[in-house]
Amino acid sequence: MNAGEILSVHEARVSRRGFLGSGGALAVVIGLHPSLAGQALAAEAVQVDATRLPSWIEIAADNAVTIRTGKCDFGQSSIYTAYRQIVAEELGVSIDAMKTVISGDTDTTPEGGGTFGLLRSAQNLRKVAAITREAALELASQTLGVARSALSVKDGVISGGGKSVTYGQLVAGQDLQLAIKVSGDLNAPFGRRVEGNPPFKPRAEYTIIGKPVTNPSLEPKISGKAKWIGDVKLPGMLHARVIHPATLGSTLVSAGKLDSAQFPGARVVTVGNLLAVVSPNEWEAVQAAQQVGGETQWSEWAGLPESGQLFDHMRNAIDWAEYPVRPGRANKGDAKGVKGARTLTAAYGMPFQKHAPISPMVSVGDVRPDGSVTLHTISQNPQHLRRMIARMLVTGEDKVVVKTYPGSGHYGRSNGGSAGSEDEAVILSRELKRPVRVQWMRADDMQWSTQSSASVADIRIELGEDGRIAAYEAIHRGPPMQDDRLVGAMLAGLPVIDAPSAETTYGFQSGLVNIADTWVYAKVDNVFEQGHGAGQIGQKASPIGVGLRDHSMRTPIQFQQNCPRELAISEAAALAGKDALQFRLDHVTDPRFTAVLERLRKESGWDTRPSPAPAARSTGKAVVRGRGVSIMLRDNGYWACAAHIAVTPDSGEVKVERVTIVADVGVVINPLQLRRQIQAGCLMGVSQALFEEVTFDKGAITSTDWAGYPILTMQDMPELRVVIASDPTTDEYGQGSESANALAAPAIAAAFHDATGKPIRRLPLRPEHVAAALSV
Amino acid sequence: MPRITVNDVEREVSASPDTPLLYVLRNELDVMTPKFGCGLAQCGACSVLLDGEEVRACITPIEAVAGKAVTTVDGLPARWAKQRGLSPQQAAGKLHPVQQAWIEEQVSQCGICQFGMMIKITELLEQNAKPSDADIKAALTTSGPSPHLCRCGSYAAILEGAQRAAKLMAQGAEA
Repeated sequence: MNAGEILSVHEARVSRRGFLGSGGALAVVIGLHPSLAGQALAAEAVQVDATRLPSWIEIAADNAVTIRTGKCDFGQSSIYTAYRQIVAEELGVSIDAMKTVISGDTDTTPEGGGTFGLLRSAQNLRKVAAITREAALELASQTLGVARSALSVKDGVISGGGKSVTYGQLVAGQDLQLAIKVSGDLNAPFGRRVEGNPPFKPRAEYTIIGKPVTNPSLEPKISGKAKWIGDVKLPGMLHARVIHPATLGSTLVSAGKLDSAQFPGARVVTVGNLLAVVSPNEWEAVQAAQQVGGETQWSEWAGLPESGQLFDHMRNAIDWAEYPVRPGRANKGDAKGVKGARTLTAAYGMPFQKHAPISPMVSVGDVRPDGSVTLHTISQNPQHLRRMIARMLVTGEDKVVVKTYPGSGHYGRSNGGSAGSEDEAVILSRELKRPVRVQWMRADDMQWSTQSSASVADIRIELGEDGRIAAYEAIHRGPPMQDDRLVGAMLAGLPVIDAPSAETTYGFQSGLVNIADTWVYAKVDNVFEQGHGAGQIGQKASPIGVGLRDHSMRTPIQFQQNCPRELAISEAAALAGKDALQFRLDHVTDPRFTAVLERLRKESGWDTRPSPAPAARSTGKAVVRGRGVSIMLRDNGYWACAAHIAVTPDSGEVKVERVTIVADVGVVINPLQLRRQIQAGCLMGVSQALFEEVTFDKGAITSTDWAGYPILTMQDMPELRVVIASDPTTDEYGQGSESANALAAPAIAAAFHDATGKPIRRLPLRPEHVAAALSV
Repeated sequence: MPRITVNDVEREVSASPDTPLLYVLRNELDVMTPKFGCGLAQCGACSVLLDGEEVRACITPIEAVAGKAVTTVDGLPARWAKQRGLSPQQAAGKLHPVQQAWIEEQVSQCGICQFGMMIKITELLEQNAKPSDADIKAALTTSGPSPHLCRCGSYAAILEGAQRAAKLMAQGAEA
């Protein structure tokens, strides 16, 4: 036992660092004892002083609990609601005792990792809380002189044998540290993982998980008290506007000359191909950047297919043999060899789509004379961004701090760290020796950010004599889903990580395409799925290495693969003369899918019959109606969706009238917040299905604003019905802020087939694509 | 120097008359609730009330607001207190019913668009105390220079928030 160590529990150790006159606390930190520190931590300590890392959980003498997480909130609310509920439940304290959530900032949080799969990530704090409870019970046993086995904890009070003590009383006057074992790397995409296997509270005993706890971060936002990233102001700060190249492959020929008479406070800054205008006055910076940008010469470049030719390009011009293929995990039997009584062969296309935050990216960089850097921004993975910034500056990670603030939602764009502007703010601050705020304008954000990758799918379904699926074959092709390179650094010619390729496996940066859509039709005997990757479109040909960069977006890649799969299943049902919902029931074996589909049939008012609808028409000015269904398995969550739509064939107008979603996501941590997440995700999905497509010419993205990239408006909103129907027997935590956005598109497109008798095999269902589908 | 009235306080500003109100509010007057979204009057994130009418601060030059009253979300509680004739004691710590409804209904996802949404709904409810769902949808879609956009897709929550706000305002009017 080491000096000060007073007990050990579940591979964690409690030590008393001293006594305090007043106050007192128990802080849970990463183990410092060599036998506790993971190898990754030991290696990392070269650059990061582990003794100064902040705690995961702190319990104060007044019973207030603070938790810290490397995740950031983007509106899911989970770190302020679900995380507090999970920790409170395991500690055995009230939700009101969970006073403070500290998140994101690289100098005050111990965890790292991207903000995705939040409930999976919550297992870290859940474990820390369980270890802390077990340690507190041991401490209480010593303090009270009561056997550990006789003690239990409730509402923050540990009691047994006629005695009791609160968490606060246990820590009062003391400086206690609980050292836990972790693995993983703070600055890596997944961050740290808490080790050890403490006992968890059984689901049957939950009193806080499952309650509709409200989100305490809303009041400061709605009242106007919260400081958003766009609101950060530093003394001496300059406002910058970056003049991005004319195309995704242009280099700077000559920077425009600033009209200093008109804009006396402004100046032009050039670092390689990174061109910016700065001024202490933001409006002057905006105007001066327009003036300079108009007179700047860029080299010409035409290395993209036009968006109208995208799918042809992907099918015919890309050499898919360059990258190794990835087989589906569910592959079985001899799908290629089976020939059925009837065959569906269909080619599907998913366009590039944009994360499109309402507020474009904004960051403030502050590089000081001693080389230390503070970057104020919004990120789904601040520790990884810190690593990328340090690499760009060729400096130590200990020199860089990333501070995070509330901001516009990113939907995955920054889960590798950067969403744009961060690196530019740091580069310009280093050049100008003052804090610099870079605000991207709408067009910067639409043209220079990453996008959700496009994909094409070729699907063949063989139907047996009995009308059931005898074989399923799907080939999915697309560029990689994630490029974590800093685009400003690339323009400036500064170091970045390698682009995603067949070889790179940095974080998620693999160029290989996995089958991300879990196969759910277990009764099909012959299944063959394969993913094909390639380089990003235009990137290799771009002199600046940019091109159409991609990044994961809400339900990444599973959306691109599930939409064609579910559409094909609906088309196969129609070919078999079967009802699309019943057809799915006929091919699943998992009782949780049977349950959500049966529930969907009831909740959606589903009329069981084959498609197309008896009144289906593909011409005319009169509205025709149809309905479609889709299902998905993601992160232990079972989802089913029905869409009811109206189509006006002659105008190509598609109106979604009603969407019903049934979700079994396992343990529901917070039904109120889950419902809001599902509603919002579903509506984003309707938007993706009906409107969203990145357009580009041979050099640049041409959908530069909300006119060119329309999204769902309030008047387009369908009637929504969300049914949370969790399996009461599972102990698994599912997810909520993903999946829902991916369900609508295949259900809507299947409803289009039902209404018109014509399949539509690409998104979005805009009039021009609808007209093409109806004319076949 | 131009003078503009923001949230009931007359302020002198040094910006040139063509400067959009948004930059003056945020950078000179430290009124931060109107957010930059597009700079093109296409999204509504920067909306403010100008004599009770919703306008987009990103394209409204300050010369156009001279002699008129600008209200932002920061100023909604005082606006409500004034309209209802609440004493300082009665008004202390109270949000505008629209803000209160937004919290009670847990409307926001990321929340960046909600400042503009709340401004637009305040404008609506001051003119139409009992709006239908269709009225609310029209207010947020067709009544201004562009629809008010929410990328997170919180429209269902916004609809519920607006209806709750109407109820809270009706209760406040009776009290």
